[in-house]
Amino acid sequence: MILAIIENAFLSLIGSAIPASAVVMLAATGAMLGERVGVLNLGQEGLIGIGAVYSVIAVLSWGVESPWVAMLIGMIAAAVAGLIFAVCVVAFRASQVLVGLALALGGIGLSNQLGTNRNGTPIQTLFREVNPGGVLDDNDLVSAFLFHDPVVYIAYIGLPVVLWFALFRTRHGMNMRAVGENPAAADAVGVSVTGWRIFYSVLGAALTGAGGAYMVLSFTPTWSPDIARGRGWIALAVVIFAGWRPGWAVAGALLYGSMISLDTTAQARGWGLPFLGASDLSFLLSMLPYVVTLVAILIPAGAVKLGRRVRSTAAPAALAIPYSREER
Amino acid sequence: MTPLGAISNAALTATPWRLERRLEVDARRTATCRILGAVGALAVAGILLLITGRNAFWIFWQALDAVFGSQRGIEGVILRAIPILMTALGVALSLRMKVWNIGSDGQFLIGALAAVGVGIHVDGPGWLVLITMAVAATLAGAVWMLVPAFARAYWDVNEIITTLLLNFVALQLVTWSALGFWRDKAAAVIQSTREVPFTLAGLPGAQSVTIALLVPLVIAVVLWWVFRSTTIGYEIDTIGGNPRAAGFAGIAVPRRIMVVMLFTGAIAGLGGMLQLSAPGAQAMNAGFSAQFGLSGFIVAALAGASFVGVIVGGLFIAAMFYAGLVLQTKGLSVYIIFAIYGVILTGIALGEIAAGYRLVRRDKEGDDDGGAAESAAVPPEAERMGGNS
Repeated sequence: MILAIIENAFLSLIGSAIPASAVVMLAATGAMLGERVGVLNLGQEGLIGIGAVYSVIAVLSWGVESPWVAMLIGMIAAAVAGLIFAVCVVAFRASQVLVGLALALGGIGLSNQLGTNRNGTPIQTLFREVNPGGVLDDNDLVSAFLFHDPVVYIAYIGLPVVLWFALFRTRHGMNMRAVGENPAAADAVGVSVTGWRIFYSVLGAALTGAGGAYMVLSFTPTWSPDIARGRGWIALAVVIFAGWRPGWAVAGALLYGSMISLDTTAQARGWGLPFLGASDLSFLLSMLPYVVTLVAILIPAGAVKLGRRVRSTAAPAALAIPYSREER
Repeated sequence: MTPLGAISNAALTATPWRLERRLEVDARRTATCRILGAVGALAVAGILLLITGRNAFWIFWQALDAVFGSQRGIEGVILRAIPILMTALGVALSLRMKVWNIGSDGQFLIGALAAVGVGIHVDGPGWLVLITMAVAATLAGAVWMLVPAFARAYWDVNEIITTLLLNFVALQLVTWSALGFWRDKAAAVIQSTREVPFTLAGLPGAQSVTIALLVPLVIAVVLWWVFRSTTIGYEIDTIGGNPRAAGFAGIAVPRRIMVVMLFTGAIAGLGGMLQLSAPGAQAMNAGFSAQFGLSGFIVAALAGASFVGVIVGGLFIAAMFYAGLVLQTKGLSVYIIFAIYGVILTGIALGEIAAGYRLVRRDKEGDDDGGAAESAAVPPEAERMGGNS
């Protein structure tokens, strides 16, 4: 009996954890891209909303028939918002925390407003699952683990590999890291700190927007207010957990995703504990993703302080610090 | 030249003016520019409303009428100002050390939840129960801050994300209490916790405002005094200025950070109890905090960690908030108000930067010119920057 529950649970967890946190993965990659060049964008929550709502508008109002085009439109909208943010904090050197929170708020407000008349309308233009069929298809575990939308593969494999390679194996990536660690040094060798910071934070915003687009074009698949539901904040936490390394972000996103799907699985199956009814357990489980994410941030930092250095946990040294030649 | 300087000077080439960086920026000028930034942002929001086909002037007039048109309006503003002031005071206190407490919503909710727990389970004279509720709420707010405070102070874990994640946990806990363990089984329509049978005494002459109003005012005065006249206040400001230097000067930096963060949580938690003890608000549901933490954060950003400024800014944001509630009944959606909050916050952040610059005439290059150019320099700067948001 217990074994059966565990096996079922495992299947459900794997099956739903991967798509559930593809959004987080995309947003975390986007946030990490900006943070590597020293720009902390707390507005992820708003960018997800903007990316999602413009994809919805593209599909429902502009008659876009390809999910890729709809996603691109969502990404462009998020990139425009990201550009406003980047100009404020990089060119005008305004506080990244304040403008980031403003973007979170403004993005949520704007997207909810634009989505008002589209609540709950099902989206038909969806990404299709990559599924080769045949023998593999019969096995639930394999299909749950392997067969997803193309976006999922891009989010979990394509982007992290590309970002890792670019950051740690190319000269361009070395310059990027220099902009985030020591902008004065990067400036001295001729890298335009302002230009790079604006470019990569805008690119990062577009990726986060793609996360929002993925939500409405595959995961939910419909618009509802506050679509991000905290995933933007989780993505920022995942970046910290990952120690600003693309590979570790995959682990962080999957950890969050499995907590989310633990909750949904428990609700769907009406699980309960001897001392806790099904509904109470569900309330408890709904806190779990946030608690586990919090603990996941604390453990590496604590391990470093206690002398057990697992891996680097240090943020880019110039993160959230505006750069100005005059103050060098 | 900074990018800002380069861009602005390029824009100013046709005029006899030139942007110049100030060598010293005093607190008063920064405060003025923040306010101008917020006002400029409101103007931008108004223009955006006009562009999208809404009558901004009508909305503005309705807002003024809603707030100042009646005693009910003014009391409505004050009622909302109390929780906003409490969360704002907490955030402002932590901002003194450059610590961002984004979790005041969570601490506020947990404080209120602790107060509900005491209020519906403890029997006794009303004043005693209310005092116990206040103590429980204060402690609960501090406890909710314990993990982020420890992690920030001793493990250098950024407090922005940790405090924010706990907001979600707090909200789930409140939902659970309202739908689960403390649910009022008699109430059918709106699911909430049972009602606390005690309320604070009303202020003389007021219809609904209670003596709770005095609490944020007293706390603001105490904090103002602490930072003006005590060593502890000076040490905290030193940590805010340069934590390394503070450490070299012999200040126990981690311990100070920890204690101050716990205090910010405690103030927000007490705010939750004050909100709960207002007549008509004695039970909790998931919507108990109507973005009070967020509004408090904006107030603290506007006031820039000045406690007197928090009182003024808190009343301003509460008035906007109340006007927003009234306007919702007249067809303006709550989402637009959120978006306007975002624009205001951007305006504040840009105003803060604009304070560091002044316009000087080209022919007087290098002159330390007088107030005329300075005061003229600020508004267009703040407004134009607000226009980018």
